[in-house]
Amino acid sequence: MDKMIYAILSVKNNQEKLNLILVGMNGIAGANLNMVSLDGISAVVSDIRRGELIADKSNALAYAGVIENLAQQFTLLPMRYNSLMESTDSIIKILKRNLNEIQLNLRKVENKCEFGLKIFCNSEKLRAEMKAKSVANTKTPAKPAIENKYSVYRDYLNKKLIEHRSEELLLTHVDKIIQDITTHLAQLNPIHKFKKMTTATNIIDVVFLLEKDKKEDLIHIVKDLQNQYTGLRLMLTGPWPPYNFVDITLK
Amino acid sequence: MYDNVIDQSKDITIVEILDRVLNKGVILIGDIVVTVADIDLVYVGVKLMLSSVETMEQLKSGNSIVEK
Repeated sequence: MDKMIYAILSVKNNQEKLNLILVGMNGIAGANLNMVSLDGISAVVSDIRRGELIADKSNALAYAGVIENLAQQFTLLPMRYNSLMESTDSIIKILKRNLNEIQLNLRKVENKCEFGLKIFCNSEKLRAEMKAKSVANTKTPAKPAIENKYSVYRDYLNKKLIEHRSEELLLTHVDKIIQDITTHLAQLNPIHKFKKMTTATNIIDVVFLLEKDKKEDLIHIVKDLQNQYTGLRLMLTGPWPPYNFVDITLK
Repeated sequence: MYDNVIDQSKDITIVEILDRVLNKGVILIGDIVVTVADIDLVYVGVKLMLSSVETMEQLKSGNSIVEK
């Protein structure tokens, strides 16, 4: 039997509490959950037979469900799906080898949770607006009086120039929104990670790590931003375990 | 309290969960490589749902905050 690791928890003196919680929970395929502990941290694991693990949606959701439930009671580092080790001994060895880094990461996420904010736009409309601005601002050299045969190249270059400037304007617009969000959220003092233009309509994808008790404040701010940017659609998700804020590779 | 702006979009939440659990979190180097017979299905599912998010975006109007 192998061991599937779900999360590494800061347990300190609450091992009994963790034990009680684990008794009432099941892992993937209904497996019992156990803990492997070392110096105030515990890895929550279940037995799994090699080759029996199927990475389908229901198993991935069951895995996430375990992490989610544990995160409501403990500070934890979620493991990526499919984190398997051969035995309890090998888990203890890896915890020991990485103890400092694990403790550092646990301190970083203590009493905090993650939120995601996706900002969608009507990309066609926005691009059309940017293109119109770009056309208005693009001044190309006057046509040569006699070289009409070159106009096809000039038209091509003009088109490319307008496209390029439209993209620049779009990125500037997105940067302005990011700056605005950052300013609005400054009072919550979050750690954040931004991604721009992840899809044609998803212009901003940001994740925040902030203290658990600031959830209502965050919702207020997002609501205000939504009222400010009526042409955009803001979607806030969370609270999540800190998936995006664990910078650790166990070796 | 914020029911008027909370959109209980289950599909989006599932995509978000799968994205996190499959792509984020602590990485374990040297772990056992498992035969993941249906792994393609997971990713196909994610892609389909991402498409539906985009489609939904065009269909829906008004503001929303997705709560898990």
